[in-house]
Amino acid sequence: MMTQKTEKTTMSFSDEVTSRHGGETLTSCYQCGTCASSCPVARLDSSFNPREIIKLSLLGEKEEVLSGDAIWLCCSCFNCQERCPQKVEIADLIYALRNIALEAGHSPNIYSDFASALIAEGRIVKISKFVEKKREEYGLPPLKPVGVDALNKILSATGFTKPEKTEESQ
Amino acid sequence: MKSYAIFLGCTIPARQPNYELSARKTLAKLGVELVDLDDLTCCCPPPIQSINLESSLAVAAYNICLAEEAGLDIVALCNGCFESLAMANAALKKDKKLKAKINEVLAEVGKEFKGTIEVKHFLQVLMDDIGLEKIKEKVVKPLSNLKVAPFYGCHSLRPSKLLQLDDPERPTIFENLLEALGAESVEYRDKLKCCGGLLKGISDDTALSLARDKVVKTTKAGADCISTLCPFCFVALDIGQLQVKSKFNEVYDMPILHYSELLALALGVDPEELALRSHKVKADKVLEKIA
Amino acid sequence: MEQPKIGVFLSDCGKQLSEILDFDVLTSFVKTVPNVALIARGSEFWRGKGLQAIIDAVKSGKINRVVVAESLTKISDVNIVQAVEDAGLNPYLVEVIDLKDHCAWPHRATPKEATEKAKAMLLAAIERAKLLEPIEKLEFPALKSALIIGGGIAGMQTAVDLADLGFEVNLIEKTPFLGGLAARAGRFFPTDDCAICIQSPSSDVKTITHTSRKCVYRSGFSEIPNLNILTNARVVAVEGVPGNYKVTIEKKPRYVDADKCVACDKCVAVCPVETPDEYNANLNNRKAIYINVPTVHPQVYVIDEYACKFHDCAKCVEVCPTNAIDLDQKPEQVTLNVGSIVVATGFREFDSSAIKEYHYDDYPDVITNLELARMIDGFGPTGGAIVRPSDGKPAKKIVFIQCVGSRDRRYNPYCSGICCMISLKHASLIKSAVPGADVSICYIDIRTTGREHEYYYERAREMGIKFVKGRPTEILKDTETGKLIVDVEDALLKRFLDLEADLVVLAPAMIPAEGTKELAEILGIDLDTDGFFKEYNAKLRPTETKQRGIYLCGGTTFPKDAPTASLHAHSAAMKATKFLISGKIVKDQRTAVVNEDYCGDCEFCPVTCPYGAISLEPTTENHFVARVNDLLCEGCGVCVGTCPLNAIELRHSRPNQMRAQVNALMSVNGASKPLVLAICCQECGHTAVDSSGMAKLQYPANVRVMKVPCAGIVRVEQILEAFKAGAQGVMVVGCKSDGCHYEVGSQNAEKKMDLAKVLLKEYGIEPERLEMFKMVFIEGNQFAEAAQMMTERVTKLGPLKLMENS
Repeated sequence: MMTQKTEKTTMSFSDEVTSRHGGETLTSCYQCGTCASSCPVARLDSSFNPREIIKLSLLGEKEEVLSGDAIWLCCSCFNCQERCPQKVEIADLIYALRNIALEAGHSPNIYSDFASALIAEGRIVKISKFVEKKREEYGLPPLKPVGVDALNKILSATGFTKPEKTEESQ
Repeated sequence: MKSYAIFLGCTIPARQPNYELSARKTLAKLGVELVDLDDLTCCCPPPIQSINLESSLAVAAYNICLAEEAGLDIVALCNGCFESLAMANAALKKDKKLKAKINEVLAEVGKEFKGTIEVKHFLQVLMDDIGLEKIKEKVVKPLSNLKVAPFYGCHSLRPSKLLQLDDPERPTIFENLLEALGAESVEYRDKLKCCGGLLKGISDDTALSLARDKVVKTTKAGADCISTLCPFCFVALDIGQLQVKSKFNEVYDMPILHYSELLALALGVDPEELALRSHKVKADKVLEKIA
Repeated sequence: MEQPKIGVFLSDCGKQLSEILDFDVLTSFVKTVPNVALIARGSEFWRGKGLQAIIDAVKSGKINRVVVAESLTKISDVNIVQAVEDAGLNPYLVEVIDLKDHCAWPHRATPKEATEKAKAMLLAAIERAKLLEPIEKLEFPALKSALIIGGGIAGMQTAVDLADLGFEVNLIEKTPFLGGLAARAGRFFPTDDCAICIQSPSSDVKTITHTSRKCVYRSGFSEIPNLNILTNARVVAVEGVPGNYKVTIEKKPRYVDADKCVACDKCVAVCPVETPDEYNANLNNRKAIYINVPTVHPQVYVIDEYACKFHDCAKCVEVCPTNAIDLDQKPEQVTLNVGSIVVATGFREFDSSAIKEYHYDDYPDVITNLELARMIDGFGPTGGAIVRPSDGKPAKKIVFIQCVGSRDRRYNPYCSGICCMISLKHASLIKSAVPGADVSICYIDIRTTGREHEYYYERAREMGIKFVKGRPTEILKDTETGKLIVDVEDALLKRFLDLEADLVVLAPAMIPAEGTKELAEILGIDLDTDGFFKEYNAKLRPTETKQRGIYLCGGTTFPKDAPTASLHAHSAAMKATKFLISGKIVKDQRTAVVNEDYCGDCEFCPVTCPYGAISLEPTTENHFVARVNDLLCEGCGVCVGTCPLNAIELRHSRPNQMRAQVNALMSVNGASKPLVLAICCQECGHTAVDSSGMAKLQYPANVRVMKVPCAGIVRVEQILEAFKAGAQGVMVVGCKSDGCHYEVGSQNAEKKMDLAKVLLKEYGIEPERLEMFKMVFIEGNQFAEAAQMMTERVTKLGPLKLMENS
């Protein structure tokens, strides 16, 4: 198994993040704020600020980071990662934080729908009969079979856990 | 005749027949053969990466293996698929340790990532394999008088170190390809800023503000239409305009067309064959202008 | 050579040692060793009556070799060796060992075994002394002349210091005028005094009064007779050795005769060509023929060969009243013979166009601190007015951005150190000069660490300069108003600001001067990871390099402010002086020597030598031999350890001397534990043994220590010989990998030990019997622990079973 549950009792939150795929560069941050001003979401929604999320993570404010709404508001545009002078992989870092948060049971419900579709059909959007018919009408070739079994084997080998729907909604 | 394994992803086959039609028809006209492989799956874009980054990397690698086995490079239409697959391809080619880790997982499904193929964006295939000159030659209906605002989206360009499509601050590939069609490429403010597509269902207000911002700025710059590369961007800006109308009571009537659709029109494909009716903001204005 | 007659002097250090070691046993033992002509016992032999006894013995002719068992040998042997030399014996026929820190104190719990070890140590010293040969002191010429490369603030100061001391000094500058970056800076922080004045080198000879400074014009430095200034010139090749370098210089034509030019400016008036003025950071144009204003030196015009139309125009030639202009001047090569070279090439601004989102390349109103400095300078392109380059209108709203390409892992990861102060200086000057100016500085951290720098920062805040803690993501332009907008988050306020600006000033990183890499290759000196010239040792030798006779000063090693550059310049001058003042370099010949009959011209040793002291010389056709340059050789022995044919030896650490020591150390057993040989390098390893003794740490007496110059000298066959001689285990103790005093010796030794372990296995010897340890002087505890550990290890392994036919 590739993913390992981190030893929460002995590791600091900062170490927990840096030991995850995508979180390795957390500690390079020197809080210059380039990411914040590069971020299209931060300008519109004051509850999201990538610099702040990193600062909280560095200070070990695990609960606040993982249970808060902020980490779900990143639009994955990668502008911050592109411009960071310390080469912090900010967008990847947010994925890592989401990964940890999901393992702890937090998640926006929409992700659970995507995951269900993925596991069931190997796609995040289900292809209905209606769609297949429309394709035929447009003259598009029929869709090839999807490697659902292989996909599921891979998901299970990498510790993929389908997020459960919770009462929280964004 | 160069062959590519076409990677459609999930959204395009399900929701964007217009993108698929225009892409298949134009590549055929330009002499590129497209092969539909068996067993491809979702590329595992950001929503899945948010659940488990390593799973996503492994699934992306799996899809690449299928192309490696067929001896074909991949052409992706959707920015999200391009980013997911090209990033995985570049990261695994660079980092031996990571490659070993992923191959351990892939072994369970009888696959091995070797790093023998390239993952290209639709634009790259046009630029590198066909070239601006040949495209210009093949244009039968130049899009003269058409002012197009190119919208790269995020994941065609970033993270630039791994994707290497073009200069992330001053890209020109899209503009050049539009001009090859005879259209005028329009500069506008914040053209590289995200459309907010991935925030739908998470923060609809922010998503809508970002979509609106793009439509406002392209209108201000005098564009006749916005050209996109990604189905998420397309939906955000196309359906987005209906939502903007109901929330802000503003009408922009800015048609959104994928580059492949403009390309198809310029190469003389009959508009009726392009499922343009599926656009929420109708492209009639554009068709009139180029007639 | 006459038979060795060895004098053995045993010091009991005020009876400390005789309380532990049985000196009667030791004396009796030494008496039995052949060639011992004299034995003396006393309290001390490194000074006073004891030292006199040695002197008398030498003078009397009774002895021609000296072995002394003394304490604090690293200090005491200096006295002993000097005294022996004064008494008329070659000082390298002396061997001093430490029975206190290496024997009595660490083994006080086992006095009998300690005594046995002392016997072995004395025997080893005596056997080595028998094989010692006289070593000569060589003299090499040191020309009393220097070349200073770079005519900026540091280069000028070093040049003047050396010239004042009477050396022949050549100061070379690649641009047509002296002054460097400092001359263009306008003012120097934290006192805001005029840069042209302050960078004036202070000449002790010319300054009759004791005034603190003289403006560069009034310093008269250019008139110092033994200071030769070459501008518009570059170094293209360097040959020779320290003390005697032959430098080839290429002088670009100035096209104006320095002896005739009267600086009347008539040529400028008629010149039809306009070209961007790089001195003023391209903010204005100049003519193809020009002079910098104000001029530091020389007061001679120059023609820009890329802009000039030469004979297609020649208007300047027509008007020149003294016929000073010669359009046919050719480049000239000059050869100089100098004793030492000082590199003072300074630094320059990083090209901010790389950071595309700041639009330095395409928004004219985005400028750098250097360009702003030219604007602020009253002599500059705008006469001191702060204007927008795009339209020439006065700039009232100015935003500074710090750390552009600095502290940036994508470009220059280091902090350039002086840019915060430079921006504060400019911001304060603008606030004073422009009433109502709105000045903001966007920063990541404000670094004002120097003397009085914090007060400078205080004053800046009091002047109303605004500080925004945030690094901007982008500079935008409002297409309607033409104003710039700086997009930044103030992290302290957690607010997004769109700062409007007439002018945006970037504080770019300071990077090595253009041509640094090429110059480093020409001189054979190293660059550090940031690309600056590397000092030999940042703490102890900040202005020296690995090459004797080549020094560094000023911003060439790292960006610095004026006070630090000045300090650095004086330091380099002092070092160069020490090197050259006696006109000769005296060095003993404890160097490597090649047996040319054995040398197989394999090229290993020239490549391995950390000092470039070995070269391949042709003898007959198709045959080369290695030859060692005694001046460059540092006597480490890394070459000895590398040669596959045993063709090179180190005088004073010859294989036969080392073999004799090993055999002697192993021959006297009397230890309760199996014998272990510890081969320790003289720099770190051997001193760690000293400190373990000084700290009275205990380890068993079966561990016998032998000193070598560097762990790199150890050959694999010597390890095997040690086992044959009776060692059950071998320790090699050297410096730490990143701190080897001979650059590469420790790392080489480590690789060799790994190879040796493989060979040991083939010989049926357990590879764990050999181990390498790395430590520094103060880690005596690590030596004691290692010695303990090796003893336990070989005890566990049991007695060594050597193969029948080995």
